Amino acid sequence: MRQLYAMRYVTARGLRGMAQAPLVQLLAIATFAVCMLLLGTIMLVWSNARSIADHWGVDVPVTAYLAEGTSEAATADLAARLSELPQVEQVEIVTPAQAQARLVDGLGGDERLLEGIEAELLPTSLEIHVRGGDVALADTLASELRAEPDVEDVVAAGQWAARAQSLLETLRRIAIGAAALVGFACLTIVWSTIRLAVYARRAEIQILRLVGGTASFVHGPFVVEGLVQGTLGAAAAVTMLYFGFDAVRPLLTDAFALAFAAGGLRFLSPIECAALVGFGAALGVLGSRAAVARYVEG
Amino acid sequence: MAILEFAGVTMSYGNRGGRVTALDEVSFAVAEGAFALLTGPSGAGKSTLLKLVLASERPDRGTIRVAGRDIHRLRKSSIPYLRRNVGAVFQDFKLLPDASPRENVALALQVLGIGPAEVEQRARKSLLEVELDPDTRRPARCLSGGEQQRVAIARALAGDPAILLADEPTGNLDPRLSREILELLQRVCARGTTVMIATHDPLVIDHVAASHRLELARGRLVADSDAVAVVAEPETSEPLLPLQPIAVGAVA
Repeated sequence: MRQLYAMRYVTARGLRGMAQAPLVQLLAIATFAVCMLLLGTIMLVWSNARSIADHWGVDVPVTAYLAEGTSEAATADLAARLSELPQVEQVEIVTPAQAQARLVDGLGGDERLLEGIEAELLPTSLEIHVRGGDVALADTLASELRAEPDVEDVVAAGQWAARAQSLLETLRRIAIGAAALVGFACLTIVWSTIRLAVYARRAEIQILRLVGGTASFVHGPFVVEGLVQGTLGAAAAVTMLYFGFDAVRPLLTDAFALAFAAGGLRFLSPIECAALVGFGAALGVLGSRAAVARYVEG
Repeated sequence: MAILEFAGVTMSYGNRGGRVTALDEVSFAVAEGAFALLTGPSGAGKSTLLKLVLASERPDRGTIRVAGRDIHRLRKSSIPYLRRNVGAVFQDFKLLPDASPRENVALALQVLGIGPAEVEQRARKSLLEVELDPDTRRPARCLSGGEQQRVAIARALAGDPAILLADEPTGNLDPRLSREILELLQRVCARGTTVMIATHDPLVIDHVAASHRLELARGRLVADSDAVAVVAEPETSEPLLPLQPIAVGAVA
């Protein structure tokens, strides 16, 4: 019960402290939001690039199209033989019906584009994943498959897949680097504002220590302030990102119709949005703790 | 029984470039319920001594016991709990200037983690004890010096501490208000709280009926009216201080 009362005091004092300097708080939250917006944009680009790459089959190194009239038994036999190869991780049989469904899905669900095309016109195919996505292994396997009598054509993603994977990896590293930079910027923002608040309330801190306030009691209101700044800043960033994304989506879809035909642009998932807000909140807490630690101790 | 004991306490400020000894081998004991007066000129070490009792500073050597506990062996996290048992009042009042008397007193109770109703009730009681209106909404900065010092005393007493330290409590007050504050502190003592006043104010020194007088000069204890009560260190049965008065000429 005592802790509950103490927590209530700490929260109320933190919020009252924010209300005492609304302009400073507003500026801090706005700056924080801009930093988080940058991070959110990078996350969004990476997330969409990954989604497009997946739809374009970058993760399927070898596709073997079977000759017309190949029986189901022969297809299953070939798939079983391939599965036993040590370099093969997974083999998936794609029937003409499944191929057509994927095509419709890839074209944004608009079946009118495929009017007059029967599913039977599409060949049965085998999608073969090699271990570790190794390009050399995929090329060798593709050559061997071309010698199979039931195989009419083989497409290996080859160097293109490697380049796409490399691009994705680069984007991922940029996202991590940006997260670190943005994290540092956000920490600095929170640290600076909380230092100002600590300075403005130094007499109160001195009194709290004098009357026996524990470290968490003295730190608490400032941590609440940092938490609120971080959470509101990150939430504002997600909101701005959502409306910004909504505004540019039609332009991007028109400009890169071919690329997005396979998957379509998508916003961050609710979990990714929550992670972004959580990251902002954590940065707020860390920044405020760093700001008060040295001043309040002693 | 001694509620406050100093045994061979030495404290200095500064760094390698030069150190100033603020307290030099200070030993004394203050009995529970005493009204102790710590006197000496400015720079004698009075405030340093009070800071040591509040664990705001650490001694270089020696032992300080409050209610039998060596306070400088306390973990850092336990120091707030010590301060709840040692109320403190200062010359500059140390109040929240924009808060009302009740809010100032309530702060000392809120740190205890007690509920709002009890905070309210105890804050009112404390303010009534120092003869202030608990319902006044005037911010502390609008109160007279005497009223501000009363609020500070009410705040210090709100948590029901065992000792009340007062560092130059009349330093900012005129003689009439000083007398009022001293009478108030004597009433607090009569109620059972040990009171220790550090002062160089002749009005206080000459007119207060203290049960225990200590005098510091250049960091050394030069007089102790109650030296026989000094508790010996565990290793020896010899008293740490000779019987009073200590010759001023003995100071280095």
